[in-house]
Amino acid sequence: MYLPDFDYHSPESIDEALSLLANLGSGAKVLAGGTDLLHKMKQGDLAPKALVSLKGLDKLKGINYVEGRGVVIGALSTQNDILYSEVLAKKYPSVSHAAKKMASNQIRHLGTVGGNIVNAVPSADLPPILIALGASITLVSTSGKREMALEEFFVEPASSVINEGEILTEIVIPDGDLTGSSYHKFGLRRSGALAVVGVAASARVAGGVIEEARIVCASSAPKVIRTPKAEAFLAGKSPAPEVLEELQAIVESEVRPRDSIRGSAEYRRNLAGVLAKRALVDAVESGHGLPAED
Amino acid sequence: MSINTKIIGRSVPRIDGRDKVTGAAKYTGDIKFPNMLFGKILTSPHAHARIISIDTSAAEALPGVKAVITHKDVPDIKYGISPARWDENIFCIDKVRFVGDKVAAVACTDEETCYKALKLIKVEYEILPAVLDFRKAMDEGMPQIHDEYPKNINVEIHQEFGDIEKAFKEAHLVRTDAFLGNRAYQSPIEPHSATSLWDGDKLTVYSSTQSPHYFQYYIAREFGMDMGNVRVVKPYVGGGFGGKMEPTGLEFAGAVLAKLTGRPVRMFFDRHEMFAHNRGRHAQYMEITTGVTKDGKILGAHSNFMMDGGAYTSLGIATAYYAGALLPLTYEFDHYKFDLFRLYTNLPACGAQRGHGAPQPKYAFESHLDNVATELGMDPMDIRLLNARRPETVTPNDFAIHSCELTQCLTRARIISNWDEKKKEGGMPKGHGIGVSTGSFVSGAGYPIYRTDLPHSAVVIKVNEDGTSATLYTGAPDIGQGSDTVLCQMAAEAMGFHYEKMKIIAADTETCPMDLGAYASRLTLMTGAACKAAGEEIKKSLLEMASSMLHLPPDDLECEDAIIYSKSREGKALTFQEVARKHFVLKGPLIGKGSYTPPKLGGKFKGSPVGTSPAYSFGVQVGEVKIDEETGEIEAVGFWDVHDCGTVVNPRLLHGQVHGALSMGMGESVWEEVLFDDKGKIKNPDLANYRILTALDMPPVESEIVDSYEDIAPWGVKEIGEGSTNPTMGCFSNAIYDAMGVRVYSLPLSYEKVWRALKEKREREQGKKE
Repeated sequence: MYLPDFDYHSPESIDEALSLLANLGSGAKVLAGGTDLLHKMKQGDLAPKALVSLKGLDKLKGINYVEGRGVVIGALSTQNDILYSEVLAKKYPSVSHAAKKMASNQIRHLGTVGGNIVNAVPSADLPPILIALGASITLVSTSGKREMALEEFFVEPASSVINEGEILTEIVIPDGDLTGSSYHKFGLRRSGALAVVGVAASARVAGGVIEEARIVCASSAPKVIRTPKAEAFLAGKSPAPEVLEELQAIVESEVRPRDSIRGSAEYRRNLAGVLAKRALVDAVESGHGLPAED
Repeated sequence: MSINTKIIGRSVPRIDGRDKVTGAAKYTGDIKFPNMLFGKILTSPHAHARIISIDTSAAEALPGVKAVITHKDVPDIKYGISPARWDENIFCIDKVRFVGDKVAAVACTDEETCYKALKLIKVEYEILPAVLDFRKAMDEGMPQIHDEYPKNINVEIHQEFGDIEKAFKEAHLVRTDAFLGNRAYQSPIEPHSATSLWDGDKLTVYSSTQSPHYFQYYIAREFGMDMGNVRVVKPYVGGGFGGKMEPTGLEFAGAVLAKLTGRPVRMFFDRHEMFAHNRGRHAQYMEITTGVTKDGKILGAHSNFMMDGGAYTSLGIATAYYAGALLPLTYEFDHYKFDLFRLYTNLPACGAQRGHGAPQPKYAFESHLDNVATELGMDPMDIRLLNARRPETVTPNDFAIHSCELTQCLTRARIISNWDEKKKEGGMPKGHGIGVSTGSFVSGAGYPIYRTDLPHSAVVIKVNEDGTSATLYTGAPDIGQGSDTVLCQMAAEAMGFHYEKMKIIAADTETCPMDLGAYASRLTLMTGAACKAAGEEIKKSLLEMASSMLHLPPDDLECEDAIIYSKSREGKALTFQEVARKHFVLKGPLIGKGSYTPPKLGGKFKGSPVGTSPAYSFGVQVGEVKIDEETGEIEAVGFWDVHDCGTVVNPRLLHGQVHGALSMGMGESVWEEVLFDDKGKIKNPDLANYRILTALDMPPVESEIVDSYEDIAPWGVKEIGEGSTNPTMGCFSNAIYDAMGVRVYSLPLSYEKVWRALKEKREREQGKKE
């Protein structure tokens, strides 16, 4: 399959990119890693008049710890950048682990965290763990810049609150007092598999008791979702077997999966409950995880 | 039995290894000619529809389009595997019969224009109701797919050997189980392609094919040409597994487009088109009834099968017969009944896939046999040992078995997998299970793929003028399995020469003697026999030449390691090189010829040729799996494969075949299935959602061979490539049962099906308690 004809722009600064987008209007699409966009264009699902490539914008790359802000991840960081980041290995190996479970080495080398978020597919692997860690994102356009919690970004499959002309520039995992986090993905083979269901958990544990927890599910609803009832239930509990059984039941009641080629709604519902238990146990017992191996 | 060989039995490096590893190897799609055009085929978007009109004018008007053809531009001679089942046209004439059926083709100056041109061909269709479920294809009131085949029955088989009624009457236990198979696709890494060019009346086709000779035969037949005017050349091929066994349409359409334009035309499939063309594994519905004694001895069996053929016969008539014919190979019983319907559906046609018709019935039978063993309270290994076929026996359907070391395979597999320890209470960690399954396969088909009295294989060896190298000319296609390497080993062995000095020209119908092709696991035995004869002829000529040079009788001379020496007088010796050179000077080219035709095989009943073979391989797989009780996820923990494949020519290549077959078999067991929507469109025509295994999914594999020698074969060899796929699905089914106490009765044995079976089991148990 071949790409349809389109104009290609490669701006050298964020300002140039933003003004290009503002001028081109709805016919333009932002190109980051291209692993999703170019595929859709080849399939004939999308035919933008123009692509504005962010590839030359080095300011959007890099993963750094910034005192007072937290871990700042440039939106153009590839999934392999996340997998091999020393900053994340030290602070949040759970994020690196989530990247490691994505696609294949070749795709991880191209695909970006920004693209993984902006595509807004319910099966994306990075949003659950980032939301569990309370990440915020920055969106910029010619009319200014806004910040929001990542969990407020998604609307439905392939739809988010991003406006025409806006670019996602960075993701920030704020400093906080969460003691652990983890992402469990269920795929149908060990590489090159999309999530049938993915669940991230984070927790603040003191003296064996969960003070606060987040359970975030992918491929379980039209968008990546948190499960408020399960989170409320967990406050003040420790992960005893009967607590986990009840957690599974609550998560199963909160998710809204659909039948798909990869699994029935019923199966996915069960998987969400099972993975929630496992992710929570890891978050409580293993902190943010051990650094991912190569 | 050990034999004294110098080159056979050594893991010499592949003759094509360097080319492939460095990327120097040229595949069909890499071959370019000056002025070459690109061609693509327009296919049907409907599962079943009448063609009202085809308008190609807009496509023809597009710049870069050089030719557009439809059924009006090609012969309307139907083709297929056998005259009674010729049911496929180059392009559809009145109807399309599946999504992907071939309607027209274009030749353009570049690939991109082809895709644009295809969109401009206007085809008006009248959509007809479609048959999508093969189990309903025979029902009253179903649409008729081919007028010539009432009730959509493509092939009907009813065979009975012995007296099955009597066997069941005498049995202690008669049990029936029913299983449903999946549609799988071969998914070779290299997409199909063909490049056609004409020189006057002569057509040359470069094709990614498993059988240049069969392609040559069908191309000549379709166009009414002499075979001598059709040359088919196979460049490097990136896997076939049965899917590149018959012409795809790329060859026919390419030939016509090249003729019309006067330019070379390269035709190709993309990945989606490969899935649509298909010719992969038939899904089968399999009902198996077995009668056994109290001790577990099988008295008789009845296979009652239905098969989803798709829209055309393809190679499916052979698949249909194979499905039942090969089942009595691994276990001895006297009474056997085999009924089968192969049904037309409005889905892509199914054909031959590694193991041909055998693997799904084997899954059914091996799962069923474990159910029988459970009812009798027997160990699965014991019931197989009790019934295992022995050497020099005859199956109820008249296949003569010579060498057979199945008992030895079972015994070894039992030991190396630590079976007995693992089967003890607590012998494995929780969630683990272990299963065993057997397999067997032909070492080449006893009868040719189309009716002919030509030999099945023929080769020529030419020793080069100065004696420093020899070239093997063979029609046998290396499609990745390594036949170029093992055939050179065999030729060098027979000549008394060095493997390292062998060259090979293969799979070119003009420069090489004919060979029926790479299918039915036939090359090592059959082409190997031709190599042996050719090599021995060379050796004989050399010894005669040396005899006059040394003034010694020829029978006092021997040639080994490229040295000709006297057996009686030490020190009297000449090099292969000097004798070969002398031969050329005094007597002309030093040539050896060999050909192979199997002996007359099999019984006299209808369908008796399918499944005959000079020799059969036997094998056993034991698999250990770990099941995640909450999710149904299956992890293959370890696999043990023990094979009787006669003498091994190249151990490293042999174990490579076992690993590859296991990977394919595992994929079909748990991960792979071609899915369709309610309009007959493929839902997963890509490698993201049609999940072949990745390297990370492979378990540790221990592959062993047992001591075995086949008297009827050159150096005692037998097959490996296809037989090793046969046991895998049954092995998984049985290991899952052992782990969890649930049986999944349909392939693939997916995580979700295992989870559902476990859930239903829990609910049953809770129901009992309440």
